[in-house]
Amino acid sequence: MKKVLLAVLGAGLILGAFTGCGKKGDDVNGEGGKQREITVISREESSGTRGAFDELMKITDGKTNMLFREAVIVSSTDEAASKVEVDKFAIGYTSLGSVTSKVKALTIDGVVPNEENVKNGSYKIARPFVLAVKIGSGNQLAKDFLKFVSSQSGQAVVSKAGYITVDAAADYTPAKLSGKLTLSGSTSVEKVIQKLKEEYEGLNPGAKLEINYNGSSAGIKDCLADKSDVAMSSRELKAEEKDQITGTTFALDGIAVIVNQSNEVSNMTEDLVTKIFKGEARFWNDVQ
Amino acid sequence: MAKDIKEIREKGAEYFFLLCSLVSIGAVLLICYFIFAGAYPALRDIGAWAFLTGDLWKPTDHPPSFGIFNMIAGSIYVTAGACIFGVPVGVFAAVYMAKYCPRKIYPVASQLVSLLAGIPSIIYGFFGMMMIVPFIQENFSGNGNSVLAASIVLGVMILPTVIKVSEVSIRAVPKSYFEGALALGATKEQSIFFVGIPAAKSGILAGVILGIGRAIGETMAVVMVAGNSNILPESIFKSVRTLTANIVLEMGYAAGPHYDAIVATGAVLFVFILMLNIVLNIINKGAQTSGGLS
Repeated sequence: MKKVLLAVLGAGLILGAFTGCGKKGDDVNGEGGKQREITVISREESSGTRGAFDELMKITDGKTNMLFREAVIVSSTDEAASKVEVDKFAIGYTSLGSVTSKVKALTIDGVVPNEENVKNGSYKIARPFVLAVKIGSGNQLAKDFLKFVSSQSGQAVVSKAGYITVDAAADYTPAKLSGKLTLSGSTSVEKVIQKLKEEYEGLNPGAKLEINYNGSSAGIKDCLADKSDVAMSSRELKAEEKDQITGTTFALDGIAVIVNQSNEVSNMTEDLVTKIFKGEARFWNDVQ
Repeated sequence: MAKDIKEIREKGAEYFFLLCSLVSIGAVLLICYFIFAGAYPALRDIGAWAFLTGDLWKPTDHPPSFGIFNMIAGSIYVTAGACIFGVPVGVFAAVYMAKYCPRKIYPVASQLVSLLAGIPSIIYGFFGMMMIVPFIQENFSGNGNSVLAASIVLGVMILPTVIKVSEVSIRAVPKSYFEGALALGATKEQSIFFVGIPAAKSGILAGVILGIGRAIGETMAVVMVAGNSNILPESIFKSVRTLTANIVLEMGYAAGPHYDAIVATGAVLFVFILMLNIVLNIINKGAQTSGGLS
């Protein structure tokens, strides 16, 4: 028993070591050491940011996801940023609000990713944050909360949280309603919705918001099944969803494509970004 | 009267201890139930064979694919890699601690090894991400997020387990064994490697198995350095996703069949750990019946 175990283990190890060495030799000698592979960094399949990025960059056709199979997968926006920070050959993406000076955000087709360009629509990699209620819902508290988030005071909170505002409607006067409002959906909106909740509860002391973060699609399902009053989505509502719920966009979030500070590339076409993330362009030499 | 009170007190203590052990046994049974009952729907819908041997994991596709073959292989690769780094270093360190270490240094060295066991895994992961991954990228091929990086980090993480258990079993070898070897003209090294280690081998093996258990179950540190691509790595410089990484990456947002598949991934991991425990039991039993040292 022990011997068999050891033999299997040993054989596996030796095999691994040999194939490993062979491969390494190929890469270093074959490419002359200069041809550096692009480290593609993406997020896990169910991330809202990845969902939006894949859809906007046409990495998915709605049915099949075509992300480069060797892409490094990280579990949070911050981790994506720190991987890009230490890896000279990395490319990744994060929410525009999370871009720091330690990484370089690429211009896409010459358009700088900033608040203004997202707002006027010239920077294309952006997604809306949507709050949605079931069509025909008579929930007054939900209506009032939606009125608050799209008002000037609500938008001030959005801006303070680092996201991009939409054109504010009239000013908000607290309706002083009381009761419990349940929200569920996207994890990406957490930062801003939490601030909106605090502000709203401050203005309406009788109101209590309960928020559950379980992802955009799950949130919309909850809302349709009357398990929650308001759905939070970090992507555009789909056509079939729009038949049953009505959404209010309350903020915009750009997604920045980031590379290492030392990278000479500072602009890419949208097409090239797609190619890199699909694994069709694999070396920086092909890009420059 | 006094006797009655004493009896009640003793009975009470007995039941209290019984309750405590029931809590821990209950926890194990509850976890078993949760994992296997939760895994059943996925295995039924996907098919156990397709789930275990499929090499596509695309939970958001239409229709989705749930295959964890690459991750099973990934877990085995990084664990094997951890053994390559951790076991020789650990065993030789144990030899030093048991046979060579001067009295003055021993308490310090022993404390430091214990400290190694106490470092949170996320710290190991952070260290790996900031130091080992860039080092591999600079000096070898690929982007550094690799089987090799995960193996090195895990190799260091299993060191304390391997060292402590091996040291105890080497110490447990009767002095007369070594003295006998020396009397027959063996050097100190020969007495250790040809007499001491063979006599302590079942204990050392138990340490290795415990280390493997830790390596295969390790999550946070691996996620940060392994790259987590769902591929079958063709070299040690390629990225790899382990079973634990798959669970922790997607648990948060998974729903419906995706969630079931994640729980089923957990069940597979659980079976791995159970098998390791069985192997450990066999080794221990073998050591006892053969008159060796446990």
